[in-house]
Amino acid sequence: MAKPILRVENIHKKFKGTEVLKGLSLTVYEGEVVVIIGPSGTGKSTLLRCINRLTEPDSGDVYLEEQKIEPGKSNFSYIRQQIGMVFQDFNLFNHLTALQNVAIGPIKVKKMDKKKAYDLAMKELARVGLAEKAANYPAELSGGQKQRVAIARALAMDPKIMLFDEPTSALDPELIGEVLEVMKDLANAGMTMVVVSHEMGFAREAADRIVFLENGVVAEMGSPEKIFNNPEKERTREFISKITRLNSVAKGREVL
Amino acid sequence: MIDHIQYFISIWPELFKGLAVSLELSVGALLLGLVIGLPMALMRTYGKGIVKAFAVGYIELIRGTPMIVQLFLIYYGLPDLGILLDRVPAAIIALGINSSAYQAEYFRGAILSIDEGQGLAAQALGMTKRQAILNIILPQALRLVIPPWSNEVIYMVKYTSVAFLIAVPELMARGKMIISQTFKPLETLFWVGVIYIIVLSIIAKVVDIIEKKLAIPGFQMSGED
Repeated sequence: MAKPILRVENIHKKFKGTEVLKGLSLTVYEGEVVVIIGPSGTGKSTLLRCINRLTEPDSGDVYLEEQKIEPGKSNFSYIRQQIGMVFQDFNLFNHLTALQNVAIGPIKVKKMDKKKAYDLAMKELARVGLAEKAANYPAELSGGQKQRVAIARALAMDPKIMLFDEPTSALDPELIGEVLEVMKDLANAGMTMVVVSHEMGFAREAADRIVFLENGVVAEMGSPEKIFNNPEKERTREFISKITRLNSVAKGREVL
Repeated sequence: MIDHIQYFISIWPELFKGLAVSLELSVGALLLGLVIGLPMALMRTYGKGIVKAFAVGYIELIRGTPMIVQLFLIYYGLPDLGILLDRVPAAIIALGINSSAYQAEYFRGAILSIDEGQGLAAQALGMTKRQAILNIILPQALRLVIPPWSNEVIYMVKYTSVAFLIAVPELMARGKMIISQTFKPLETLFWVGVIYIIVLSIIAKVVDIIEKKLAIPGFQMSGED
């Protein structure tokens, strides 16, 4: 078995008295693509944010390659750099061009030489197919292009793992495909990925493991094969069939 | 008509000296206001506990008292504590402190208008909160603050006229002196007003040019994205 990259242990998180995560544990192995699904409000995004500490969990630990992630510790920023994150609403830096968006992490955080950082940024933009948009500002890009730049920005930090927080849910249906293509390429290239998404086509094709989250804990997990065709729990089956139906109806696309 | 022009030509050298002093006060006060106001905005926005309380207290105290009281306190009050200031420095300090509170609020408004996701994305890259503020939040906020800040410039040039109350020889004070010599209040004040309008129009135009120069596609106060 591959070695574990990320270990989430017994995470609890309450918001205003409501417990969103109730002792959630999850291990992600090197090169693995884990797709997290589950009803809304079940703590999927919160889980991702607790991993890189954009949200502070009430209790529980997260380890990246055996290094405990702790704000305030001297290696905190260093560990965070190694966890790439892609947000639902892109969060590209509005005052910077696509190229600058990708280069600013290496320049400011890794203290990389500017020339080197821009070369790297150009390479990462080319990787997501947007080299020709390098000089454009976020407002001049389509949603799909923005999200691809955001992926390039995360890749430029050379992360050990990438977290995707519903990367396609803010996109118009016709723009979803280009982002999923980039993500599939990444998965094929061996990137370790944790993806919160209800794109069942992507899950089926690219996931090594699907985790069904409900009520703040892992309700069921397994290979796409098992989760889609032969889930243990009735709730999982219901949820999958509902989402699959919604996917095909709402987006008018063929579901893989 | 010719008479009026001739009168203007005769008083212009005097008024020009006054204008120079007014602009000196404006620039000094605006810079002082910036140097105090920006840290106050950061302290009020990101500070906790006593740091935040200090910034809030400072801003509300300054905004809650008349500028004339602040001016007199600094020029007539401080000597009681052994601090004697010349007229011009006293006026610059009073105007600058007053401006700092308003500038702080402009900066704070601009900072708060930046989407929270910008800071989150910066931190996710590994930036510290401080790096995120310096590299991501402030460059955006400072662009957004230009329109309200240009209002402050225009207010300030006009507010410098209160400095005549402590006998700083700025534009308004020169006008007053000329009136006492020529006994022509209407004409004199007319020309004083004309000078203010011309100078302020030029400043507004310059700010407009700066704003356009720094503009980024799709990134304005009104329509973000």
